[in-house]
Amino acid sequence: MNGVASQDELYRDVAEQFGSALERLARAYEVDPDKRRDLIQEIHFQLWRSFERFDARCSTRTWVYRVAHHVAASHVLRERRKFSNLVSVEELEMLPDKDHGHFAADRRINLDRLSALIQQLKPLDRQVIVSYLEDMDAASIGEITGLSPANVAMRISRIKNILARRFHEGGNHAS
Amino acid sequence: MHPENDPKKIWQSQPVEPSVMTIHLLRRRVRQLHAKTRWGLVGSLSAPITGVFFYALAIKSRFHYPVLRPLFALAFAWSLAGMYFLQRGMWSASMPGDAALRTGLEFYRREIERRSKLFRRVMWCSFLPMVLVIGTFILALAETAGSAIFPNGMPFIALVVVWIVAYFAIRMRDEHELQRELDELSEIEKENR
Repeated sequence: MNGVASQDELYRDVAEQFGSALERLARAYEVDPDKRRDLIQEIHFQLWRSFERFDARCSTRTWVYRVAHHVAASHVLRERRKFSNLVSVEELEMLPDKDHGHFAADRRINLDRLSALIQQLKPLDRQVIVSYLEDMDAASIGEITGLSPANVAMRISRIKNILARRFHEGGNHAS
Repeated sequence: MHPENDPKKIWQSQPVEPSVMTIHLLRRRVRQLHAKTRWGLVGSLSAPITGVFFYALAIKSRFHYPVLRPLFALAFAWSLAGMYFLQRGMWSASMPGDAALRTGLEFYRREIERRSKLFRRVMWCSFLPMVLVIGTFILALAETAGSAIFPNGMPFIALVVVWIVAYFAIRMRDEHELQRELDELSEIEKENR
């Protein structure tokens, strides 16, 4: 198998396997649908280019998420006006919830609220929350982000606390 | 927790339309990127070359003050060199192939450092030569128009000063923000050890 063929094949496999996850990841970084489409295309493009150098030093999943988060983080940094308003997960924990944890029966509304919450976060914390929402364990999150297990655990605990406060039906306590 | 309100479920069950780019589209994008780079180079060089051309004409016909000539020449040489270095810095913006070997933390730090360097480069390679060009232009006008420049040219000079101060202030604020972000990342790296 030559390099180009394996690059193309790798991309095809990955796009099929992670396509939906990449779409969700893009939603965490860009609210505008047109810009989000561009961002997704850029992620796919950089992913395809990156497979030219893929050497299986890490798992395909880690590779895919790293490239996708790198492209998306660059995208956030380019939008300087929005970038200056981003907060860390610690700061977000302190911020009051405008919706006061009210339960919304409509899943669409809840998704918009969740997306809006994620989009307030700085890129590194966004990587943690998106990975957590994708059901990854702390070790995988650490491999993608480069954060230590203790650091990942601390951030996940804060994220859980925020999510519980804002999404728990009528409640204000972490589950 | 109500299943409708479980953040993981909400997140994972969101409606998506996975867009797979075909290899043909990806290759076309590479060609477009190369073409864009070529046109970017042509575009960035055309402005200073046009400027030099008009400056040469102006020197020949209007300005007879030898002291301004080396200043103008310096400003344009600086602009051209600055354009080259600035373009070089921007081209390296495309994601390096080994970026996926870096973790989010490493990549994010590098990206912020790169942007911070780019800000400084814009300052040295674009902003300062432009200030020199404008300053020399105002001096040339002052020498040509004599004392008449003060009542008539004051709005223009004031506008230029406001623009320079505002631009400088915005750049400094951006730089300060990036530095703060770098400090936060250093803290995270310390916690990581």
